[in-house]
Amino acid sequence: MIVSIKDIFKMIGMLIVSFCAVIVCAMFLNYHLDLVTVENLITTELSRNFYKAQLSTARVVSGLSGGCLLLTTVVLLCFYIGHYIGTHQKQLGIMKALGYTRWGVAKHFCVFGLPILVGTALGYLSAHLLMPKLYEIQNKDGYLPDVAINFHPGLCAALVLAPTIFFALLAVIYSFVKLKTPALALIREQSSHKIVTSKKDRDRPFLDELRKSNVRQKKSLVFFITFAVFCFAAMTQMSCSMDELASEMMSVMIMAIGIVLAVVILFIATTSVVKANNKTITMMKVFGYSAKECTSAVLNGYRPWAYFGFALGTFYQYILLKLMVTVVFKDLSDKLEYKFDVPVMLITLVVFALLYELIMFAYTKQMEKLSVKEIMLD
Amino acid sequence: MIKINNLHKFYGNGESRTEVLKGVSLNIKDGDFVVILGASGSGKSTFLNVISGLEPADAGTVCYDDKNICEMNDTEMTLFRKDTIGYVFQQYFLLPNLNVDKNVKMGADLTKNTNYRSLIEAVGLADKKKKYPHELSGGEQQRVSIARALAKQPKVLFLDEPTGALDEATGRMVLDLICKLQKELGFTMVMVTHNQNIARMANTVISMNSGRIVEEYTNSSPQSAYEIAW
Repeated sequence: MIVSIKDIFKMIGMLIVSFCAVIVCAMFLNYHLDLVTVENLITTELSRNFYKAQLSTARVVSGLSGGCLLLTTVVLLCFYIGHYIGTHQKQLGIMKALGYTRWGVAKHFCVFGLPILVGTALGYLSAHLLMPKLYEIQNKDGYLPDVAINFHPGLCAALVLAPTIFFALLAVIYSFVKLKTPALALIREQSSHKIVTSKKDRDRPFLDELRKSNVRQKKSLVFFITFAVFCFAAMTQMSCSMDELASEMMSVMIMAIGIVLAVVILFIATTSVVKANNKTITMMKVFGYSAKECTSAVLNGYRPWAYFGFALGTFYQYILLKLMVTVVFKDLSDKLEYKFDVPVMLITLVVFALLYELIMFAYTKQMEKLSVKEIMLD
Repeated sequence: MIKINNLHKFYGNGESRTEVLKGVSLNIKDGDFVVILGASGSGKSTFLNVISGLEPADAGTVCYDDKNICEMNDTEMTLFRKDTIGYVFQQYFLLPNLNVDKNVKMGADLTKNTNYRSLIEAVGLADKKKKYPHELSGGEQQRVSIARALAKQPKVLFLDEPTGALDEATGRMVLDLICKLQKELGFTMVMVTHNQNIARMANTVISMNSGRIVEEYTNSSPQSAYEIAW
């Protein structure tokens, strides 16, 4: 077997992201489909406006969260496959040299669709477990006729089967493209020498140079770290600021998804940074660099991007809520107001800073434990 | 002076526990060129790693000017490595994302050596200082690794099979370069090799077998890298 079950287990990040995407989309799209069935029972203008606002909310929430998380899963999958091929170049090169075709090797990568199947199926089931509570809250307002939960096989296929097939195919196609490298180059691990060089050669201190070089080489990790913090900032602030726009359940759910996504992606990205730099860290230790200097060179380059992600997430949630109030809920009789919540932003910033530094501290400790002998085992 | 006394090192646990160094003792004089010879599995690389502080000993002492590195904690060991030793590996271990100049700077910045570019010139790579490791040949990469180790101005340079991955012509050139730099800069040099001919270049030769020193002798007239057989 080219890709083992153990390798699939490492893709827990994709499983969690797909779970989060499907639980949100399944709840709101199912509600959307069920809400449409009561359209003929709506009699008053106020109810019709509320009905339209509910439909728009369901579409916006599922579209935005689903789209955003779909993009993240695509990037995560490509990152995992690229990383897998990078770390298994020798084996794959030997297989090609022995006569396996590119297609023959690439087709085995379809198992990368497995975590998506598990994640989406769990997400869909969890959504159905939470739906009674969501419907109860929505029905409680009394603006609309009671909406009953129905099972929509099409939705199940669209949220569970379609993503699984899509990601399995994407994995095969992406690995097929990546395996274009000649067998000998794979065996000699030459394809990993794609170095992104600096356009300007400045005379910086070594640690600064290494820090900047690390960020240059791993642009996908810059994306992940920025995105993780973006999710955290946007979703936690949004859930605290939308008390008039959504139910408590929805707020808690959004906050939970934001925190889980941020922590999972941040851990995956940081683990990847540290693993990719194991040899560099070991060499630095052999030369006499301290653990603090190693951390500074390997991890500190991503900190500005993390804070940029926070600023971006804060701005995004402000624009999104402002749009919800001015566009989606504009026809409601009770005019809703939304103002940027500075205390919430400050508290979120402090929590984020503490969480981020805690994760970095954990990785610094892990780096300290790296044995200098590891480099000799190469 | 490096004083090594009754050094023991074990690998594994329980029934698979193996004694790799069996009470090795040795004195290395300042400025000496010591070659440690031995077949695969003789314990020579483990000995080099332990005396250079890369691996802890299980028993015994390794004293650099009366400071026993076996008793040092992590912080002291980091400082010791920074101030005292340089290391050249068989596989070079250059940082792939940085060019020659920045790789050598890795060593130079530790001791604030601003004159490190003279070492790049000394190893004959002045015209390749903007090149990246993958753009260099094996011999060139090893020369960068030597310049990097010397840029931190170590008191002792440890070399683990520095010519193991090189062809004869490149190997001779690298050894010639190392010896010239040692004479010029005066550091102590300890080299592990399985090539018995290289031993003719050293002042002191140590032969190891099964975790013990089985022979120790001094060369009255060491030969150059171009005089020895390969």
